[in-house]
Amino acid sequence: MYKYILETAGNINWMAVFSLLTFFIIFSISIYLVVVKKESDLKHMAELPLADDNQNTKS
Amino acid sequence: MSKIENFSYDNKIVRDFGIATTIWGIVGMLVGLIAALQLIWPVCNVTQYFTFGRIRPLHTNAVIFAFVGNGIFMGVYYSLQRLLKARMWSDKLSKIHFWGWQAIILAAAITLPLGFTSSHEYAELEWPIDIAIAVIWIVFGLNMFGTMLKRRENHLYVAIWFYIATWVTVTVLHIFNNLEIPVSMMKSIPVFAGVQDALIQWWYGHNAVAFFLTTPYLGLMYYFLPKAANRPVYSYRLSIIHFWALIFIYIWAGPHHLLYTSLPDWAQTLGTAFSIMLIAPSWGGMLNGLLTLRGAWDRVRRDPILKFMVVAVTSYGMATLEGPLLSFKSINAISHYTDWTVGHVHIGTLGWNGMLTFGVLYWLWPRLYGTKLFSTKLANTHFWLGTLGTMFYAIPLYWAGWTQSMMWKKFTADGFLAYGNFLETVTQIIPMYMVRALGGTIYLVGVCLMAYNLWKTAKAGTLIANVEASAPARVKYIPKKSDHWHSWIERRPIQLLIGSAIMVLIGGMVEIFPMLIIDDNVPKIASVHPYTPLELEGRDLYIREGCVNCHSQMIRPFRSETERYGEYSKSGEFIYDRPFLWGSKRTGPDLHRIGKKYSHSWHYNHMLDPETMSPGSIMPPYPWLLTQDLNTDYTVAKIKVLKMLNTPYPKKYEEKALDDLTTQALKIANELREQGADQEGLENKEIVALIAYLQRLGTDIKPKK
Repeated sequence: MYKYILETAGNINWMAVFSLLTFFIIFSISIYLVVVKKESDLKHMAELPLADDNQNTKS
Repeated sequence: MSKIENFSYDNKIVRDFGIATTIWGIVGMLVGLIAALQLIWPVCNVTQYFTFGRIRPLHTNAVIFAFVGNGIFMGVYYSLQRLLKARMWSDKLSKIHFWGWQAIILAAAITLPLGFTSSHEYAELEWPIDIAIAVIWIVFGLNMFGTMLKRRENHLYVAIWFYIATWVTVTVLHIFNNLEIPVSMMKSIPVFAGVQDALIQWWYGHNAVAFFLTTPYLGLMYYFLPKAANRPVYSYRLSIIHFWALIFIYIWAGPHHLLYTSLPDWAQTLGTAFSIMLIAPSWGGMLNGLLTLRGAWDRVRRDPILKFMVVAVTSYGMATLEGPLLSFKSINAISHYTDWTVGHVHIGTLGWNGMLTFGVLYWLWPRLYGTKLFSTKLANTHFWLGTLGTMFYAIPLYWAGWTQSMMWKKFTADGFLAYGNFLETVTQIIPMYMVRALGGTIYLVGVCLMAYNLWKTAKAGTLIANVEASAPARVKYIPKKSDHWHSWIERRPIQLLIGSAIMVLIGGMVEIFPMLIIDDNVPKIASVHPYTPLELEGRDLYIREGCVNCHSQMIRPFRSETERYGEYSKSGEFIYDRPFLWGSKRTGPDLHRIGKKYSHSWHYNHMLDPETMSPGSIMPPYPWLLTQDLNTDYTVAKIKVLKMLNTPYPKKYEEKALDDLTTQALKIANELREQGADQEGLENKEIVALIAYLQRLGTDIKPKK
């Protein structure tokens, strides 16, 4: 079985390369987009959970 | 300035899911505790409906889909409404979702003990229930996306992205892992066989962990942790990277459940590589959670809710470090099939899912009932019981896993297995099983305390079923020049859904499609033939009794395994296995080469009472197999479906399948009688079919005498 898989390994190398390249591209794009994101937008988004409810528990 | 609109949030549905998660949590954990006791005292296996093989899937399904599932919905329904500043799109859909989900859980609780199982781990439910799950899941999706479309807040907070990714990925996983053809109302045959079935199952199984136990809970973490700590998430930037990197990488990691099996090496390597890469986004998310508490650590000492959340996030970090480490082939060679995996899983479920659910429940309940928590002291006690229970659960299992694996692999100086009798490696770890059961009990007591605390809290207040709220109507966002692609997608739920789907499908397609379309990935073996009708029925009994929960059928290419069991398993041997039955845990020995190893009478007596053949065995007895008649009502239908799936039975074989079954049953029954098993009507009993199957196992490639 291993002999057979080794014989056909040439045909599947593209998968490993493709997957790593795709990840690298997606990761790089998300890093870039995150870095160029405006501070004010980030602040607004981060505070959404805190601004959503005026219902508080009695304590 | 746009017009201020008044509306209300639906709290009742949140409360309902909260009650459901608490009740099902107790039930699921109680079943788990009983299963743990069965591994110590086989006498706890009472009646055929309550053996370990049948209730282990009941436990896993109950805690995953009933406890965690209802926990997800509770958190999603609360946070989604508030983050979008809108009531759920349809109260009716919310109700259908709630009652539909509970009905599915009830159906699981009835059918699994009855032995109706597809045998796919965490997807055991049979086809009618699979369809019901799909329908209810779509109802949930419609309600969620409907709410997003009528929202008043332009931006979708990161928690919602995790909910969207969860929904779309679970949809894809559920469909692909349940592609099956019905044979009867409660029996189906999967479309994929052997290695392909295994790859799809573990692609599903791993991503059930990823997209049911992890991503929705990360969404809850990103919402409820800032709420409880009263400060925004540490880094919103990090949360964006966490999201995209996590959903992209997670989907590839499934094959790490199949290391050293017959799965082609390239798929195993992909699984390992992506599992190791997973450390980065997972730890990014964990640190983001913990650092949210910067400056609030003094409160963590006093506030049980924050304590629960800190332990939950820390457990997430521990489990997501351990998972990738277990994906190294050298470590996996030790851990796989042992209790180490069970311990690892419970750090995730008890620590991460459990503790976060409890933290959220303690935070929510006083708010839902407009009062304060009945007893903070009791909540603190629960926290310590939960933490200690998790440790008492997991540590003995790590110990048991290492002990057993070392014993399996130990050779004497003369080159023989030091523990040739598998049973020695089981009895050695019984004390660890006892401590594990103690840990489970401690944890369960804590949950019962919580139920009492929540009940008393509810009694002290009144449910605020609808919370009045107001917010400006949504104004159409006018894109600015400086906006980037990500700002665009953050305001578009449907596009985010499509984007997430593409992310997860890339991994799925690249990994799975070659396995399905390239026949060469599973080299055929000329001597491997389809099962006879009697063997097929015996195999279905093996599935019904849940034997796969304790016995693997996959001999890895290690000397310690080939010495113990025989020739290592080849992928070509499984091409007619629908479903595959490789298993994931060896509480008992591997059975792939059990065929012709023992006499028929050995199996007969072993099933009647395992202790007579293996003194000290913890396997439950199966006396009903000797008394119940074999049901052959669906044998012909099974042969027809298998032929439809290209199993090479002769032309019109279904017409003579029952004759062949009877002939083979008579032959085995006569041989049994010759060996001393004198029983009337033996040829009609289930035991004969099971023996036929067991005696066939792994014999196709044995040299014929």
